[in-house]
Order: sequence, then C-alpha cells, then structure tokens
Amino acid sequence: MTDMAAGFALLGIGMLVVLGVVFVIASRGGPVRDTPKPPRGVHMPGPSYLPVVMSLGAALIGAGFAFRVDDQLANPFLAIPGLLVFVAGAVAWVRAANHEWREVEHGAHDDGPAH
Amino acid sequence: MSTRTMQAHPSGEHEAAAAVAHGQSGMPMALVGMLLFIASEVMFFGGLFATYFNARAGFAGTWGPPEGGHIDLPLAAVLTAILVASSFTMQFGVWAIRRGDTGKLKLWTGITLGLGVLFLAGQLYDYTELGFGLSDGVFSTVFYTLTGFHGAHVFGGAIGLTVVLARALRGQFSRRNHVAVEAVSMYWHFVDVVWIALFLIIYFLQ
Amino acid sequence: MATTTLEPRAGSYHRSWVLDWLTTVDHKKIGILYIVNSFLFFFAAGFLALLIRSELAVPGVQFLDQNTYNQAFTMHGTIMIFLFVVPVLAGFGNYIVPLQLGAPDMAFPRINALSFWLLPLGGLLIFSGYLFGGAAAEGWTGYAPLTSDRFSPGVGTDLWIIGLALVGTASIMGAINFIATIFKMRAPGMTLMRMPIFVWTILVTATLILLATPVLTAGLIALFIDRNYGGSFFDPAVGGNPILWQHIFWFFGHPEVYIVILPAMGVVSEILPVFSRKPLFGYKAFVFATVAIGLLSFSVWAHHMFTTGTVFLPFFSFMTALIAIPTGIKMFNWLGTLWRGKLILATPMLFSLGFLSMFLIGGISGVMLASPPIDFHVQDTYFVVAHLHYVFFGGSVFGVFAATYYWFPKMTGRKLNEPLGKIHFWIHFIGFNLAFFPMHQLGLSGMPRRIGDYSPDAGWTILNMVSTVGAFMIAVSIIPFLINVVATLINGEPAGDDPWEGNTLEWATTSPPPPHNFDRLPPIHSERPLFFLTHGHGHAVERPEDLVEEEIVDEKPGDVERRPKDLV
Repeated sequence: MTDMAAGFALLGIGMLVVLGVVFVIASRGGPVRDTPKPPRGVHMPGPSYLPVVMSLGAALIGAGFAFRVDDQLANPFLAIPGLLVFVAGAVAWVRAANHEWREVEHGAHDDGPAH
Repeated sequence: MSTRTMQAHPSGEHEAAAAVAHGQSGMPMALVGMLLFIASEVMFFGGLFATYFNARAGFAGTWGPPEGGHIDLPLAAVLTAILVASSFTMQFGVWAIRRGDTGKLKLWTGITLGLGVLFLAGQLYDYTELGFGLSDGVFSTVFYTLTGFHGAHVFGGAIGLTVVLARALRGQFSRRNHVAVEAVSMYWHFVDVVWIALFLIIYFLQ
Repeated sequence: MATTTLEPRAGSYHRSWVLDWLTTVDHKKIGILYIVNSFLFFFAAGFLALLIRSELAVPGVQFLDQNTYNQAFTMHGTIMIFLFVVPVLAGFGNYIVPLQLGAPDMAFPRINALSFWLLPLGGLLIFSGYLFGGAAAEGWTGYAPLTSDRFSPGVGTDLWIIGLALVGTASIMGAINFIATIFKMRAPGMTLMRMPIFVWTILVTATLILLATPVLTAGLIALFIDRNYGGSFFDPAVGGNPILWQHIFWFFGHPEVYIVILPAMGVVSEILPVFSRKPLFGYKAFVFATVAIGLLSFSVWAHHMFTTGTVFLPFFSFMTALIAIPTGIKMFNWLGTLWRGKLILATPMLFSLGFLSMFLIGGISGVMLASPPIDFHVQDTYFVVAHLHYVFFGGSVFGVFAATYYWFPKMTGRKLNEPLGKIHFWIHFIGFNLAFFPMHQLGLSGMPRRIGDYSPDAGWTILNMVSTVGAFMIAVSIIPFLINVVATLINGEPAGDDPWEGNTLEWATTSPPPPHNFDRLPPIHSERPLFFLTHGHGHAVERPEDLVEEEIVDEKPGDVERRPKDLV
C-alpha cells in the first residue's frame, strides 16, 4: 500500500509541477489595452507547423500506450518524447493564439482558444 | 469568362460579414467551440456511465468494493462540497470581470484553482486509502475508470484555470474582452456537474 | 496571395511546396489533403478486398491462412469506413462548405489542419500491426471477448484501438469546426433555410459525429483497460459482459452509418438539380427528413444485436422501420427533381443516378433486415454483407465519385475527360452489381460472413466466382479513373468558374478559388443564389420551385439552349 501511496504522491507532485510551469509560461506578455476599433475585414491565420507537430506528439503517446511492456502504464521511450512534443506544441499554440489576438485589430475579437 | 455582373457589397455588409466571421454577432466563436466540445464530453462520460449501469444491473451478488476494500463516502462528500464551492467561486470571478473588476477576477480565479487542486489532492489521497486496485473485479474497474477520467478532466480544467489566472495577473482581461474566462468557467461547471452525478450514483445510491 | 496580416513574411519569399502543404491551414488545401489521403487508404483497403475475393472465388484454402484472412477482412472494413469513406466526405465538406456559405474559411483553421494530420498517423498506427506480429483480426466490429488479451494477445489489436481513438478524436474536432462554421459564418442573407442541402447534410453528420463518436472512444478505452490493465468490462472470465461491448459499439456504430451516407446524399442533392436543370423538389421536406434521420439514428442501434437474445425486439424493429420513412421521402424528392427535367447525363449525373438505384436496393435489404424473423435467419451471413455494400459502396462511394467528377473542375480549374468518366462509370457499375448482388442469395442460402473457406458441396461456388469477377471489374474500372485524373492534371481542358451552370456559391468564384475565396459575393435571397444571379434580376424569391423554367429564361434565350450541349 505504501508503494501505491508513494506513486500517487508522486503523481500529485507532478501535477503541481505542471501547473507551476503552465503558470510561468502563461504569465509572459504584458497588459493589453482595449482598442475598440471596428473590424476591418477578414483576416486569416497564417500557415503553421503546429498541427503536424501536435499530431506527431499524440501519435507517439498513443504508440507508447500500445507498445507497453509488462506492468508499465505506457512505454516510456515513446510516450515521454510524445508527451514533450505534445506539450511543447500545445504551449506554442496557445501563445501563438494570444499573440495573434493581440496583434490583429482589437477589441471585441475572440481571445479564447486558438484557431 | 462569366457574363454575370456581380454586385459589390456595400461596405457595411462586408464588415458585417467580417463581424459574423469573427463571431461578433451573438455568442463568440470560442464559446461556441467550447459548448460543442462539452457536448462531446458529456457523451464520453455517458458512455462510461453506461458501463457502470450495465455492470451494476448485471452483477450477481452484492454490488460494491471487493473484500478488504471500501469506498469513503464522507471524504467523497467533502470533495463534492469543495468542487461545488469552486463552481460558485468561478462564477463569482466571471461576474466580476463582466463588471470590469479585474481585481476580484484574480481573487476568485485563484480561489477556484486552489479548490480544484485541493479536490485533486483529496482524490489522490482517497485512491491510496481504498484498499483495492483497478484489476480487482468489475466494481473496481468501473470505479477507477469513471473517477480516474473525471479526475483527469479536473486536471485539464486546472490547467485552463492556471492560464486564466496568469493572464488575469498580467492584466489581459477586461469587461469587453474575457472570452477565455467564460470558456474555462463553462468547462469547470461541466466538470462539477459530472462529479455530482458520479457522487450520487457511485457513492450515494450505489 | 494570402491576405494575411499575421505573418508578414508569408508570400514574400519562396516556400517549398512540401512545407506549404505541411503547414497549410487553408480549408481548400486541407480538403484536398483529406481527399488524396482517403483515396490512398481506399486503394489499400481495396487491395485487401481483392485478396479476400481471390481466396473465396473457389472452395479450398488458396493462399491465405485463416489468421491472415481474418486480418484482411478486419483491416478492409476498418480502413474503408474510418480512413476512406468518412474522411473523403469530410474532405469534400472541408473544401466546399465554406465556399457554399460564402465564408473565407472554416471557424478554426488550425484545428482543421490538426484534424487532418491525425488521420494518416492514426491509419499508419492501425496498419503497423502488420509489422508487429499481425494486425487486428477480430472484425471491424471488434466483439468481446474475442478482442480480449486472452484470445488476441498481440499488439495489433492495441494499435487498432489507439489508432481508432486518434482518428475518432480528429473526427470530433472536425465536427466542432463544421458546426461552428455553419452556424456562425454564413454570408449575409443566407438563412438556414437557404443553405445548400450539402451543407445541411454536413451539419447533421457533424452533429452525429459529435454525439456518437465519444461513446466509441469510451468503449475503446474500456477495451484497452481490459486488455492491458486487468479491467473487467467485457471479458466474462473476469466478470465482464460481452454484450456491453456490443451496446457501446453499436450505439456509436449505427449513427456512424448515417455519418457515412448523409454527406453522399447531400452531394447527390447538389448534382441532380444542376443536371436536371430544375430546382430540388421539396427542399424543406428534405431538410426535415435529414434532421429526422439524424435523430432517429440514435434509437435503432440494437437491430445489430437482435440475435443476442437480450434485446427488446419490437421497439428496435419499429424504430428501424420508421427510419425508412424519411429516407423514402428523400427518394421521392430526388425522383421529383428528375421528373420532367432536362437531363444531362454527364459523369457526375451518372454516378448520382447510380447512387439512387443502388442505394434503393441497399435500403430495401435494410428494411428486410429490420424484421427480426428475417434477421434471425440471415444475421452474420452474406445477406448482411450484400446490404452493407449496397449502402456503403453503392450509396456513399458512388456519391464520392459523383462529388469527384462534379467538383474536380472547381478544385483544379480543369474538367475531367467525359468519355473516360463514362467508361469508369459503366465498368464500375456492372462490376459492383456482379460483385455484390449474388451475395444476397449466398446469405439466404446460409453462407456465413468472415469465413475464409467453404465446402464445395455447399452450392456456393458459382456465385462466389461471379462475385470475384465483379470485384476485379471494380478494380479495373479504377484504371480509367486514375488515367483521367493524372492526364487532366497535366493537360486537361480548362474549366472556368462555372462549367456545370451550378446554383450554389462555390461556382461564383474562380476555379480554383483565391485564398480568401470570394472577392465579391452575389446577393443571397434563395437556396439557389447563383441561379438567380444568372437567370433572374436578383429578385428575392422565397420559393423557387413555384417558378416555371420558361419564366426565368428572359434576356438570353439563346444562351440557355446552347449551354446543355457544352456540358456533355
């Protein structure tokens, strides 16, 4: 039972670490002023390598689960690189979306999840 | 080459088109996306709940944790209270930013995040105390699968709350611009509702 | 050039072609990626079908042992459904829906790209089972406990699960994109009841995907837990319930077949009016029938489980028969569109007419299967295989080819060669019926499905041989199609904006369209905005079906006589 407890404690600490990292990264960038300008016309997001990157990350994580050995949760040689790629991609995505929102006209434009 | 003549849009219509394209009429596009995503998640949990009901209905014997294990109703009740409270605090935060009160937004978001983390910690602690594992029979399987995936969704929500908190602390939200807060709050309420259903069905009604 | 304000460098330096397609977020390019990727999987799964038919042509084990045969039919079904027919229709949807709405792109362009890229990767994961001891071999329906680690210990089944989970997630993201786009990005004047029928079918399909696919995901995860972490969901040896898998799978699986057919119905509903020179008969009825089919599709899943003995037969039989009604309404609408029309039998029209007749046959065998007494006799026989191929192949795949010939000019600026198209159609049509019609009789006389061999005394040999000949004819028919596509891309006849004289907005821009789709939009007052731009004065007309053809041909009668001949 103490094994499991240690495992879950580790998981909990890991989650806190992740949250901390997310906080630090999301804190970048300064305050934004409200410039209520009417929309000037259609804009479209530029090309991005992130969809390919994140798909690769997801596929690696999936392969990690498929190729697990014995009592593992997932195969670390596939799942860990996959997780790193996926998370890096997700972070870059959210940052790019925030960046685009701030650069494009203003105001009432969506600042929610990325395109 | 076409022999048709096209009427150019008067400029108002073009801007209207752009406005529509950006989701400025009616619900913002990001919120529409979040609502639809939540709909799909409801069906995902529906599938998992279906396995619970089916397993329980077909179970020969007394339904519950295996020999030597137990489920902790009092702790679960506390966790429920924590999560429900966090929904209230989240909504206070949303109301605050709708009024333009960035200070209160930060406060309530921080509290919500804290409560969410507390819930997760409590859930993990509960897991260590249960005395049974996922491979200990039908009840154990559905119990861990349902609560585990719910916990994972709470963690996802916590990430969202962290992003919102960080951006709020950086002054990136205003009365007119806070779609991310609305979207994350919708997701958080959804996660809470799923837990209430879980608590009632697995812990309370058994 | 892309009118983007976000990437000032874009377009100002030469980008490699590969990088361009890898990083695109343009719905048109993504649509083409979907379509090309899907056809590649079509050929792979089609090859597996030829292996199956070669093995079954005569009694005796020819060259596939039972395990390899099992992998073949499992992968054939899984790939055809999840990696060909659903994505290819999603690809056409991706390309065409924003254009038909007068929108510049989809609601979430980058997520659109993400949805695509998960497909080839998921498909590769599924296929990679062949490299690691054998692909999944339990049928595309993956019934428990055959799929448990007890009976299928190899990694192939786990790869199948993971690959499908990725592909399913991609579908769900795509569905969110379509629904948001359709509700929020229509051009001014385009009310919901003025949208093209193809858009309606995509909307209902996306809703089905949104609500049904997550249930499959839940089931796949549960199966993975059973196989890998000692779970007890489905394996009776550890207290699980195999019927639970069937419920979860078919709760998804039945809406899935409507996901497969509805967009194809939408395509046919676009093509028939254009090539009959008449409006679609009964637009409103069509919309309501589509929505009704979507709703009812969630209430019939257990008709796949009649023979388990655990299903309330009267309810599911009734609901299944009920769903034939809106489908029948659509049939009558299509016939009403054709009636007294000036039919132009170009290749898109031929495939659409083929759809009507083949789907009708598939629908009839489906209604037969809705009846438990019949179903008890033919469940898990070739009768079901016949039914599903008449609706999937005779329905959806004919629709896919119709869409390909219809929209190829818009996507590439060149028209596919008509004589080659007709050759493709006829060989395909005859081969298809030779391959699958005999299967009705084979099923009725008791030939089970998913068997690799059968006794020479069963009396099934001749029909199996005929079926195999048909299958190879289908394969042969692909040759003129491929030649057509390649030759047209190299040096085909230029198409212009509107080669078919269409009714909907995709024909109101260049072929192919510019990155932002439209420089200007025509006024939208009906569900045929382009028709009224060309033939009317842009009057607001709410019920175009009230108008008689002759009234509309006003200033340029000569043009109208001339154009039909150009189109053939």
